[in-house]
Amino acid sequence: MSRPDLDELDHQLISILAQDARVSNRKIASDLGVNEGTVRGRIKRLQQDGLIAFTALTGLKLEKATNIAFVAVQADVSQARRIARDIAHIPLVKSVMIVLGPFNIMATCLYDDLDNLHAMASGQILQMPGVQHVETSLAVRTVKFSNRVVRITDAPMDGAI
Amino acid sequence: MSDMFAFDETDRRIVEQLRQNGRATNQQIAESLNLIASTVSTRIRRMEDAGMLRVVAVSDFAVHGFHVLIHLAVEVSGRPALDVAEELAAFREVFAVHLVTGRYEISLLLTLRDMDELSPLIADKLSQVPGVRAMIPAIGLDIVKYGLDTAPIDSRRLA
Repeated sequence: MSRPDLDELDHQLISILAQDARVSNRKIASDLGVNEGTVRGRIKRLQQDGLIAFTALTGLKLEKATNIAFVAVQADVSQARRIARDIAHIPLVKSVMIVLGPFNIMATCLYDDLDNLHAMASGQILQMPGVQHVETSLAVRTVKFSNRVVRITDAPMDGAI
Repeated sequence: MSDMFAFDETDRRIVEQLRQNGRATNQQIAESLNLIASTVSTRIRRMEDAGMLRVVAVSDFAVHGFHVLIHLAVEVSGRPALDVAEELAAFREVFAVHLVTGRYEISLLLTLRDMDELSPLIADKLSQVPGVRAMIPAIGLDIVKYGLDTAPIDSRRLA
């Protein structure tokens, strides 16, 4: 992972925008005592470098599927990358990480009922060529989580409304 | 209040626009949806006031210097899993904590600046929490997709 070169002003901008992304460049500029062009330029650069992204966070009520499950996958290691990408294409799969451990791939998905989760885990993922074993854990409670700090990937951060 | 709140079709369309560009002006959103700007601003405020919407900049792990991601499956014995989970959640390096059903009881995601932080974290902190029986690690190699922009908005924030 690359180490970005950010100065104090970048961190101040990120911190303001993390609270509310709809505040105007003019307001940010006057709060930080810099000119508006600087604010505009910095924000553009941070976005282009994939360090920040603007999005709308919504309560789970907006989704039809409101439960979270973790799906751990054992797959042929030589095909893990392709399989991970295939899993990422399933709309209800919200995150996919390739890992080194008892499993090769860990995915987080949303589901509305158990039939629907079973269809995704056993019906879709387990059927993919190269997938050997799938283990599903249901999240019964989120004790800590931040959706402000993320991995910004090329895949769009789809809300799947 | 939020129990009474329901998103209607117009709300959903506004949220969809905000997801594409959170910094679009009310006027721009109004034009693309054939609404008037004041409707857009009222709708956004209503969703925000109900605690159902936050339009924010999300930042990459790299901005915060987190270069190592590790998932830990935590097995618990002799103590309620929720108590253990809450105690684990207090550590700065612990990014996410979920209670789960299945082979293990707690799913943890650790964010570290480098591997040197791992040994003291495991030996001096996590393994000292009463009730932690075993921890099975999976080292994050590559994040293919990360789209959890829908989550409980009020879950505990990182400092």
